[in-house]
Amino acid sequence: MMVRAGHAATGYRSLWRQMPLGFRIGALILLTHLIVAVTGQFWAPYGYSQMGAGVPLSGMSWRNLLGVDQLGRDVFSRVVHGSPIVIALSLSATLIGMVTGAIIGLFSGYVGGWVDLVIQRLLEALISIPFLVLALIAISAAGVEASGSPVLVVLVVALVYAPRIARIARAAAIDIATRDHVTVARLRGETPWSVMRRELLPNASGVLLVEFALRAGYAPVLIGSLGYLGFGMMPPTPEWGLIISENRALLLVSPVTVLGPGMALASLVVGLNLFTEGLARVLGRTVRLGSQ
Amino acid sequence: MGILRLLLWRSVLAALTLLLVSVIVFMMLEVLPGDVATRILGRDATAQSLAVLRDELGLNQPAIARYLAWLGGLLTGDLGNSLVSRRPIPDILAPRVFNTLMLSTYAFLLYLPLALIPALLQAIRRDRLVDHVLSTVTLVLLSMPDFLLATLLLLIFVIYIPIFPAISLVDQSSSFWEYVQAMTLPAVTLAIVMAVYAVRMLRDNLIEVLESDYVRMAELKGLSARHVLLRHALPNAMVPTLNVTALNLAYLVGGVVVVEKVFSYPGFGSLLVDSLQLRDLPVIEVTVMIAALVYISANLFADIAAILLNPRLADG
Repeated sequence: MMVRAGHAATGYRSLWRQMPLGFRIGALILLTHLIVAVTGQFWAPYGYSQMGAGVPLSGMSWRNLLGVDQLGRDVFSRVVHGSPIVIALSLSATLIGMVTGAIIGLFSGYVGGWVDLVIQRLLEALISIPFLVLALIAISAAGVEASGSPVLVVLVVALVYAPRIARIARAAAIDIATRDHVTVARLRGETPWSVMRRELLPNASGVLLVEFALRAGYAPVLIGSLGYLGFGMMPPTPEWGLIISENRALLLVSPVTVLGPGMALASLVVGLNLFTEGLARVLGRTVRLGSQ
Repeated sequence: MGILRLLLWRSVLAALTLLLVSVIVFMMLEVLPGDVATRILGRDATAQSLAVLRDELGLNQPAIARYLAWLGGLLTGDLGNSLVSRRPIPDILAPRVFNTLMLSTYAFLLYLPLALIPALLQAIRRDRLVDHVLSTVTLVLLSMPDFLLATLLLLIFVIYIPIFPAISLVDQSSSFWEYVQAMTLPAVTLAIVMAVYAVRMLRDNLIEVLESDYVRMAELKGLSARHVLLRHALPNAMVPTLNVTALNLAYLVGGVVVVEKVFSYPGFGSLLVDSLQLRDLPVIEVTVMIAALVYISANLFADIAAILLNPRLADG
């Protein structure tokens, strides 16, 4: 609806007006980010690893909006080229974490008994390792050959997310499983898989949607933190956390080389958080932003 | 179920979780990656040095035997030696844990007023300008990665208004004042991250409590607004916030990893990152276990506190 709101039928327009203000602001911020991510490669002034884009360390200018880094690369172009990478990594990681977590959680909550008890303990154990620490040791476990691979970063973030999402899905499944239509489906002789897909999933979709938005909002931060610490994407990938870490030494000479990618990252997350909060309100749910 | 039995059951579950964490950590670091010796020494290592390391790590034994030996070591306090510096792990760990404890205490002291004051302001001036401004500020701060917040503080207080050192190096010989100076920026970063989360929750709780019957009653009795807020509303709004504080303690274990690294503060978190870079397996394993232990204990204490504050939970 956020895409169509501008030019489509009045029905959409009034729906748009009914949305909470935060949701609309968030949607607009996200739309801007998406447009940059999709079209950026056509209008970014320089390539992401193109050197000689300006005088190194020369700071802010009309030619180089966000300054030039130590290697003579235009930071603005790097931020623009990084946009689709950050968004694609975040969304795919959250999606994989969501699907795995939802299947495990719904199954565990519906089946119950000792299977549930065992799965629950395992999830609890995974959650007990602080998320960044878990991500770091998972990357370490994958070994040097895999380091810097986007697939690894996506899988690691999914691994961190899946148990947390599974816990939410399990609680939803337990709540729904006591309702009459589920009992009826079970008495009809439907398999657990079919009950999960037809009865539990549609009823849990609101919870899971909000959870997806919440997690997607945190994924750029997690990926950025990994990049910043040197365990995520590798140079010369223009991932924002990595750019911030590369230009940290320039903080004194050219602060804009750090502030630029920093603002890009923060504004994306602000947009996603506003969107999440609004979505939760529309769906009549409560959400705690920042809960990990 | 009686309260005592419930508390005991929770403790048993927590211990079981910690045991599972040890299995997961061991699996991830020593079983899954194939040949551990090659991974530590790299592909160019000679066959001889690989054999020496395999022998030292006991890699010739089956995984289960190695796990049990490692677990036994953890339980008896025999943590082994670092692969890099060859020093016993407790000697490496002790000063780092001490530094992080100092930092966390400092951060917690800053966290309390940072969480309470804005939440009280927002609750009193609900839906007024102050409330909206603070809501926006907390939302932006909440959306900011901790490494970015740390870098911004670095920019402001080290470069524009030079009050604090850029690199927070401290050791045993540092004076108390040097410690405070080195710890302030990392502590402020951690405190802000924890506070913004708590502010948003505390504000909502306070508003809910302020609308309740007993607060209305207290107002009708003619008690002063300040008295009502501080004596009646705040204590009741604090109960759910206790849970947040435990969660924040849990955040702190992971948060120090990034924040200490940004300020080069020699604590527990930077030890973990350094040993990951050096592939110092025994040190990594112990630090991860400590992080999980703190996380699990924080949650256990929050559970126990919630049950003691509201014994009806024990019936559920």
